[in-house]
This record gives sequence, C-alpha cells and structure tokens, in this order.
Amino acid sequence: MIRALTTRRTDLAPFLLLLPAVAVMLFVVALPLLFSLWTSLTPYKLTKPASLYVFIGADNYLRLLSDPAFWVPFGRTVLFLTIALNLEFALGLGIALLINQITWGQRGLRTIMMFPMMFSPILVGFQFKFIFNDNIGILNNALQSLGITDQAIPWLVDGWLAMASILFAEMWMSTSVFAILLLAGLFAMPRDPVEAARVDGCNPWQVFRHITLPFLMPFAFIAMTIRSLDVARAYDIVKVMTGGGPAGRTELLWTLIARTGYENAQMGKANAMAYISTLLSIAFTVYFYRKLMAARRFMGGVQ
Amino acid sequence: MAEITLTGVEKRYGALRVVHGIDLTIAQGEFVVLVGPSGCGKSTTLRMIAGLEDISGGQVRIGGRVVNDLPPRKRNISMVFQNYALYPHMNVRDNLGFGLKIAGQTPDMIAKRVDEAAQILGLADLLDRTPAELSGGQRQRVAMGRAIVRHPDAFLFDEPLSNLDAKLRGQMRAEIKKLHQQVKTTVVYVTHDQVEAMTLADRIVVMRDGQIEQVGTPMQVFNHPANIFVATFIGSPPMNLLPGTISGGAVRLADGSAVPVPPRLTGRAAEGQAVTLGIRADDISPVGHGLSQDGPGAELDLSVVLAEPLGMESLIYTRVAGQEVQAKLYGPRLVNPGDRLTFRLALDRAHLFDAASGRSLEAI
Amino acid sequence: MKRVRGMVLWVATFLLMVVMCVPGLWVILSAFRPNREILAKPPVWVPETLTLDNFGKIFGWGAEQIAIPVGSYFLNSMVIALTSTVIALGIGMAGGYAFARFRFRGKNSVFLGLMLLRTVPGIALSLPVFMLWSRLGIIDTKLGLIIVYVSLNVPFTIWLIDGFFRQIPLSLSEAAQVDGCTRWQAFWKIEFPLAKSGIASAGVFAFLTSWNEFALASQLTRSTDSKTLPVGLLDFTAQFTIDWAGMCAMAVIIIVPALILTFLVQKHLIAGLTFGGVKG
Repeated sequence: MIRALTTRRTDLAPFLLLLPAVAVMLFVVALPLLFSLWTSLTPYKLTKPASLYVFIGADNYLRLLSDPAFWVPFGRTVLFLTIALNLEFALGLGIALLINQITWGQRGLRTIMMFPMMFSPILVGFQFKFIFNDNIGILNNALQSLGITDQAIPWLVDGWLAMASILFAEMWMSTSVFAILLLAGLFAMPRDPVEAARVDGCNPWQVFRHITLPFLMPFAFIAMTIRSLDVARAYDIVKVMTGGGPAGRTELLWTLIARTGYENAQMGKANAMAYISTLLSIAFTVYFYRKLMAARRFMGGVQ
Repeated sequence: MAEITLTGVEKRYGALRVVHGIDLTIAQGEFVVLVGPSGCGKSTTLRMIAGLEDISGGQVRIGGRVVNDLPPRKRNISMVFQNYALYPHMNVRDNLGFGLKIAGQTPDMIAKRVDEAAQILGLADLLDRTPAELSGGQRQRVAMGRAIVRHPDAFLFDEPLSNLDAKLRGQMRAEIKKLHQQVKTTVVYVTHDQVEAMTLADRIVVMRDGQIEQVGTPMQVFNHPANIFVATFIGSPPMNLLPGTISGGAVRLADGSAVPVPPRLTGRAAEGQAVTLGIRADDISPVGHGLSQDGPGAELDLSVVLAEPLGMESLIYTRVAGQEVQAKLYGPRLVNPGDRLTFRLALDRAHLFDAASGRSLEAI
Repeated sequence: MKRVRGMVLWVATFLLMVVMCVPGLWVILSAFRPNREILAKPPVWVPETLTLDNFGKIFGWGAEQIAIPVGSYFLNSMVIALTSTVIALGIGMAGGYAFARFRFRGKNSVFLGLMLLRTVPGIALSLPVFMLWSRLGIIDTKLGLIIVYVSLNVPFTIWLIDGFFRQIPLSLSEAAQVDGCTRWQAFWKIEFPLAKSGIASAGVFAFLTSWNEFALASQLTRSTDSKTLPVGLLDFTAQFTIDWAGMCAMAVIIIVPALILTFLVQKHLIAGLTFGGVKG
C-alpha cells in the first residue's frame, strides 16, 4: 500500500537532519564554485594578485572556444571517457556472465575481482608506469624473454601507445565496478522469466538479449552513475604515467587545467576550463542518473 | 482497558482527503473490526488512533483523554503490524520484553510478564530463538505476545493475518478470538477480509473512500446492509443485484419479468422509482432445495448456465433478465448446464436499494 | 561437450584473474626485492632475495635512508582519512535517514543536487579551494584537507546509508514507538543496530576515498605536516632516478590498509551499492 512515510508533526525534522550535509556542500563546493565562476571571468594570474578584480566578461571562455590547444584535449577527454565507459561495461558484463556460470569458488572470484577497486588511482598509475616501463617493465621483459619482440616497445613514450596504456590502466581500475554490480544483478535475477522465455522458444542469445540484458540495465546504470561521479580520477593516472606527454599527446582536460592553473599560474583561464570540465561531469552524471530513473520505472522498482 | 472515541476524525495529505470525518465510539472491551477495500482509509484511521499518523482534523480520545497531540508511546496502546515488525536483532524474549524495558520496569517484573504472555500464546519453548528462526504462525504469535505483555488500554491490529496461508489464517483467527475472550481488552482490528470481520467482530465498521458506510454487529451488517456497497462487500458470493423499476407492487426487471416487492418493504418504494433488487445466492434456490421454504416467495423458471458442486451444496450460475445471477442448491444433487429448473426467491430475505443513491429502502 | 565448455570457462576465468591480479601482485612482490634485482638486465624472474630493506629505507630504520618522511605522511593520511570519515558518517547518517524516512518538498532535487556537487572534478574544485583556503589560512593544513574530504564523502555516504535504512521496514520503528520509545530511542535501539554493518561499509568507502585521494591533496598540501601518502608517492619521481623499489614499498603501505578494510566489509558494500540504487 502506498502510504506517506510518517509525516508526524515533526515536519521540520528532515530539513534539520539534512542541514549539516547541505551546509557542508554549499560551503566547501558550491561557494568555491561561485568564486571559481568569478575568477573565470577575470584574467587572474597568481603572480598578479590585482588581476583578480579585473572583469573581462566571457573572454576566457571565448578564447578557449577558438583555441585548439583546448579543444584537442577536450575532445580527447570525451572520446577517452566514451571508450573507457563502454569497454568497461562490455568487459564487466562479460566477466559477470562468466563468473555467474562458474559453480565452484564463485565467492572467492568475486573477492578477487574487488582487488583493483581498492587501489588508489595514483597507485594504479604508478603500477602501470612500472609495468609498462620500456626498460625494466615486466611487460617488455616478458615479451622479450618470450621472443615476441627483440626491441623494447616504448609503451609510454609513443603517443598512441601511451594513450592505450592509460586506457588499459583506467579499465583495470574500473571494470570491477561494473562486473560486481552486474554480477549482483545476475544473482538477483528471478529465474521464472528466463524459463518462461525458454519454454516460449527463445534461443540462448534471445534470452540474453530480451530478458537478461533489460533486467541488468538498472544495475549497469548504477555502475555508470557511480563511475560518472568520479570520472576525473583518470587525472591521477595520467599525472603519474605520462604527465600529459609526450608533447601533449595524452593531455586530458584535467591535466590541462592543472598545468594552466598551477604551473602557468593562469588561474582565470584555468577556472574557465575547470568550469567546462565540471559541466562535462555533470552532463555525464545527469545522463546516467536519468537513465537509471527510467530503468527503475521500467522495472517497477519505485516503491 | 478503555473506551476509544473518534469525533470528526479527518486525514488530509495536502488537498487530498483520505479520511472524511469519522465518528465512532468503541466501548471498553469491545472487538471492533474496520473492514473495507484497500485504499478505504481503514489503516490510516487505525494509525491515527495509534499516533503513527498526524490527525488533520477532529479528535481521538482514549479512555476519555484527548490523544491528538500525544506520541504513540504516551497512548498506552499496543499494535500488531501486518509484517509483524519483530525486531530481527533480538530474540523472542527480548522482543516481548522490549516495551517493558523501555518503560523502565524491573527485570523480575519483565520476566514475569514475558512468561505470562508466553504461556498464553504457547511461546514458552521459543523464547531464545530469533525471529528469523520462527515460522509465520509463530512470528504472528510473538507479535501478539508483544502486544499483550504491556497490558495496554487497547490492541490495534493492522491486517495481521494477511501474510499467512489460508489454513494458518483460520487457526490464528480462532486464537485471536480466544485471546480477546481471555484478556478482554478493547480491540480495533483492520482487515480487508470480510470473513475475518464477520468471525471476529463484536461490531463491524464498513468503510469506503474514507467514510463509514455502516456500523453494526456482524448479523446486522449481513442481514440488513445499509446500501449496495455493504451488501456486495459483506457475504460470499457477493449479493446478486438486478436493476428494475417499481410498477404495480412489483419490481419490473430489464426483460419485463416481475418480482413482487418484498412484503416488509411495501409502501417504502414509490411507483415508478428506479431500484436495485438485491438477493444473496443462498436465497435463490431450486424449489425444494432452499434454506427456508416458508415465508413469501417468488418463483422463476431459469436455465442453468454452469454448476459448481461443492458436496452438500452446489453453486449454480444462471441468468435473470440478461444478467448473471448466482444461486445455491442445497442437497447432494447433480445439475447440468442447460437444465431448466424452477427457482424460488425468498422474498423476506431480498433487499431493495434506491438505484440513484444506492441506499437500502429498509429503515435501519 | 559439456566438459570442453567447462574447461574453456575455467581457462578464460583463470586468464582474467591473472590480468586482474598480476599487476598489483608484481608491485607488491617488487617491494620486497632489492632495486638492483628490479633493474637487472636480463630480467630476474624468480626473486633471489626477499628483503625488508625497502621498508627500512623509507621509514628510516635501515642503513640506507632516503629523505622522504613516509612516517609523517602515513600519520597525516590516517588522521585526515579517519577524521573526515567520522564527520562524513555523522552527517551522512542524518542525511541518509532524512531521505529514507521522510517525505518532504524538493526531496529528489536535493538528492540530485548533492550528487551533482560530488561530480565536480577534484582538480577543478582544487583551483577555487586553493585560492579560498589560502585566504582563510587553512591551506597546507590537515584541517583544510579534512573539510574538503568531508564534502567529498557526504553525498555518497548519504546515498549508501539511505539505501541501508530503506531496507529496514518502517514498521519496526513504528512498533518501537508504540512500545514506548521516542523516535530518537527507536532510531538508536532498533534502526541503528540493524543498519550498523551497512553504515560501517559506508564508512569504509569514505575512508578509502580520503585515503586514496590525490588531485586535491596534491594541490592543497605542501609540507611534511599535511602531505598524505598518495602525494608523497610523487616525491620519488622528483628524484633524479626513480627508486622503483622504494616506491613499491610505499605502494604496499598505501594498499595494505585499504585491502584489509575492503575485505572486511565487501559483502555489505555490494549489497549497499545495489539495493540503494535499484529499489528507489
């Protein structure tokens, strides 16, 4: 029965309970964001404090919009996220289906799967910097020992290889999120619809396509939403592995912001970029959150 | 033990009114059942008595004390929830004693009361188990035990049996009734099941759309339904309803056939008035196979559409004036679809309702 | 046929596990090997010597020492992560309870708003916070980082805890209130004990977020008194040659607490993530 949760005379209670949370978020995030907005409308440089009070309108933004040095990393970031999220989903789904099939040691496998989730992104970066190192890395050592190549492959020095290596590191770190949530979805899945579909003459692929996958989508969207809250952690990985190099070939929006703001001290310009990156993150989150809501309604999960 | 009085009790959620001014007095020690379809406001009313919902208007008094602004804990009531609401992290003993412990009773006192309740409900062997280790019926009993240990002014039951299977439900129904006879505490009991209402209640309150449709003893409500809603809600199968018009001392049905106005109602129906004739399946029977053979009757030749033999009786589906009507045949006799039989309507048990308002023409 | 399929499955899973585990395990193994073995050409596959020297070196108890105050970093990380977790849990419990148990105007917007404030990329947030904290004088202090981490953890903690409270039937709290509890008592005696393990896992999540965070910490801390382990890890790269063995040892120091905590609560963590999300 749908019923109001206790609406006692304590109507003020939820607001009081939420007050600390809202206050913290406003003070530590919203307020700085406002400040950031103002800064992005000035030519502020850390070296020239007075420039914080010079209003130049949308100049920073306009200049960014016409600057390939901004657009290329921006495009690379969007592409990187799209590829990473899709591959992580596909791979996570594969792993979840695989582990779901295995009858022995399932719990152990699931635990092992959580292993990468505990790694700090900065550690993941360091780890793969170590492994992909062209001289002493285990990967090149292994390839050379096995005689697959006699040259050292410059994993982190060549632009494309470096980007692929970063993508691999990112996926290593985040695929488990998908795998674990999708596996939980598979465990929670009722058997009846699958059996009914089989009786109705569906082949295994059709069962998967029309029964299993739709049921798993809300779980996939939870994973996507959780991931999208945190997409910018790729910054840590890039920072350690390549620092954006070689020659800016692995520069993502976030490393560009750090470089512009802290190394070049151009705070105004960096804040404008930061704003754009924030909007990008929000767009990703809102997109998946809405998908999640729609999927929930579809599943009748809203109670 | 106490009397519970509701005066003009209302519940609103913003503009939406779910309970429209209920007046009801529940006597000390009385077992009152609120019954109605889901969404009729019966649970909300119960929860307002418990203090779990704010009262938007009117007054609730328990034992003469206005409790509108008192939190549940100060109302000295206890409640059995639909899903039992046993505390999963406590064993049965602690579940039973929780209320007393909160009230600051001594351990001796708590132990005594818990044992007493366990005795009454046959829980003595289960005291050290956790709720997860109990069967549905046992959980139900613990929930009741938790209600009685505190010796409250009133018990509130919110659809307590709806999670049990049919057999267990029958058993628990009997236990609740026994329990009430033993402790004689005021009971307000909410259910959507009219059988529970009939079997348990001293008085039934039939509700619909946030309003009381009728209050009365089970027999009053069954024999003299105040309106079409009550007539169809109480009793199984639901009362047959046939639309018609009063014409020359008879009810003329849609196909032109006529059934005499029940003698006790003559003069209450105006010539030309649109009415609904209501009659229960038990009161339409093939001649010689009915419950009562005396009293005024009307005879109709009808053909059997479908018969469901139930042993000593059969439920017969037939048609009157183009409408499906259920009838009962008493006695172990087989009838077949297509058989044409003469049915007798027991007119003294037939009802007339005003077609427009749905109200019974009988003075109640 | 069935056997072949089983074999294939097993091999596929095995390879997967190798890919998942080997990078991490390699780092952990290397932490116990001398640097010369790591740098050896041709590579030394089977470790000839296992040693704790790398740890001794970074903690400053061995013969060879390096000028990185890992002990301080560890302490800073602990203090910052624990404090911010405790505060975020308190705030998150209140907020999560509000979302799970009350209806109020704008509920969905507030929820989404909190989540969206969480999505601001760390590096983007670091710019204005860096400027503001400088003005407030809490730049390069533990306090400054704790405050930021609380805000980082509050939204997700609320999400998780909301999910855990939702799983507890409302009628339990109501039954307790009818049994004589105030709402406050009903919370502490009934709802809190039942949500305890879930809340603990939310706490672990918050702790890990703080413990592992880099983007903000790297900009908001500079000195030995406030730098955290992830930031300290970069101290190694600033040197002329990378001390791989030392870095691996430090990586182990970062990963071990995280490993232990996650394994302790993994079951609840998964349950919290899925139930909180699916059953709105």
